[in-house]
Amino acid sequence: MVYLVAATQESDLARVREEKPELWRQVRRYNQPIQLALAAADEVMKFAQDASTAAVISLAPCQPGSADLYRWGSVVTTGMASGSLGNMRMNPTQTLHAVDNLAMSAFAIAHQNHAYCLGLGGAAGQAWCGLEAVVERLDAGFEEEALLMAGDQDAAEDGAAGLGVALLFSVHARPTSARLVSIVRNRQISDVKPHAANGLAGMWSSIAQCSRGPMSHVVPAEQTDGFSGVTVNLEVS
Amino acid sequence: MSYMRRVVITGMGALSALGATTHDLWNGLLANRSGVRRVQRLVDSGINVTTGGEVDAVSPQDLDRDHVIANRAIDEALAESKRDAAECGFIWSTGLDTFQMGTGGFVHRSAGRCFSNLASRFTGPRRMIAAACASGTQAIGEAFRLIQNGHADACVAGGSSVMLTPFYLIGFAGLQAVAIDNGDEPSMACRPFDKRRKGFALADGAGAVVLETHESALERGAPVFAEVIGFGVSQDAFDLNRPCDDGAGAELCMRRALADAAVSSEEIDAVNAHATATYSGDLAEAAALRKVFAERWQSLPVSGSKGAIGHAMAAAGVLEAIVAAQTCATGIVPPTVNLHHVDEGCELDHVIGDPRDVNAKTVLSVSFGMGGQNAGLILRRVSHGLHG
Repeated sequence: MVYLVAATQESDLARVREEKPELWRQVRRYNQPIQLALAAADEVMKFAQDASTAAVISLAPCQPGSADLYRWGSVVTTGMASGSLGNMRMNPTQTLHAVDNLAMSAFAIAHQNHAYCLGLGGAAGQAWCGLEAVVERLDAGFEEEALLMAGDQDAAEDGAAGLGVALLFSVHARPTSARLVSIVRNRQISDVKPHAANGLAGMWSSIAQCSRGPMSHVVPAEQTDGFSGVTVNLEVS
Repeated sequence: MSYMRRVVITGMGALSALGATTHDLWNGLLANRSGVRRVQRLVDSGINVTTGGEVDAVSPQDLDRDHVIANRAIDEALAESKRDAAECGFIWSTGLDTFQMGTGGFVHRSAGRCFSNLASRFTGPRRMIAAACASGTQAIGEAFRLIQNGHADACVAGGSSVMLTPFYLIGFAGLQAVAIDNGDEPSMACRPFDKRRKGFALADGAGAVVLETHESALERGAPVFAEVIGFGVSQDAFDLNRPCDDGAGAELCMRRALADAAVSSEEIDAVNAHATATYSGDLAEAAALRKVFAERWQSLPVSGSKGAIGHAMAAAGVLEAIVAAQTCATGIVPPTVNLHHVDEGCELDHVIGDPRDVNAKTVLSVSFGMGGQNAGLILRRVSHGLHG
């Protein structure tokens, strides 16, 4: 049995900076989606039995990078065409903004987590692969807890709004938890709006609005991978 | 767990600096040849990193280079396996977003969109792996696990990267990870475990393997290159830019792979090392190997491929797993190209100069990603061998 036992969302980095100075010190160098994912994960792992042994499944942003990185990419690419790059140097902090597994690494360092880790890339619908991976790991008895986290932004080029989501799963039920009954896929071609965090946030919102008992969350087509429809069946307690 | 199916490799495809096929890759390594060279368009740009592992088969002007390189490796693997993409899952890494110069100016290429386009001809599961330099190895491991546990019957796994852009060359140079120009012969830019190492040479590339159950391979009469028998991952939880000095994270993933395969370290016949030629990376890897292989480290052949093909990032692990599978199939361990003077702290039984025929049957292949993700695979020769 796999239970969703806690979930958090974060969209306000100003609040994180003000209310969690230690966390902000750790994440300030990173780009927005990573900061938001880590802020959400930091909160949800307060409900974990042991943050150092949980499986970590992390979704890379579909809109990666940062405004600084895009500006720099443009300067370099244009400079190459004119042969004017010379001894140009890149700020290592901006290099970090290009790294797809950054949230997973930063989480591991912060929580001294050496456990199983799976970084999923910034393609549409990978959130549901992450959810399937959680079930596979916990059902097989590899770990007792798993973190699924994601952060993304509406656009990287101009520092548009972002969202971080973190979900904690356990093989042990809690007084308020939702048992993951099944994840069902069916063939369904659709247009998508790639975003690492919106789909998971939508599922959590559905669960939060549900009274006790069985429920099905039909993933909106635009939040899938564009090849398969996804329905998540749960039992809420 | 009721399902524990045997999983084998029945097709392989590779585009690297050594050529456009797995045959080119393997033969180049056996010949102790480096495909890394000076890249004229990088010279023209004026930056101080001008060597790399370029894939000649696809024009650098082709803005669809990321798709084309990946699809060629995938098609080679599927053709060899005689499988159709529509029968397979797709576990793949397309690496990082890239920035290129198009006819209309600056072009941003999304790795996620590239993955989705590549995935369109496959049936599920379709998972995009993001574990930096360990991505290719983890992609194979995740596909192995899906098939082993009955969640898929066959998968194409691997990765592709287009990294030879000023954006990444300057970025990695800033992290002191790539070998900048200093007058050396370009083909010797990357020298794993060597006293004169100064970082890796970035490379483009793609590698793909077809994985399926041993049972289905036998039924179809497919070629079997190797069996995947173990997979392990770990996180360093140490630093974003460098490994633990004692290689503890790397050691943990190796031990997990051994435990998963239910084999002892004595049963490993050879190691395909990550061997990036970075100062701290090689030291940490050597330390980890000496600990895992305890009494045997002086007589266990170790070989790395990046001296010959550079570091193809998301493709690196799968290109190296392909080499490991060839070692399983033939028993031969290729040399580590450009290794001449083993550095203090990097002592292992390195294969130098000529390939070594040790009748290797069980091989460990490891990859360590920037940020501290580590992945290891154990491959084993299947008794009925290369030709079914």
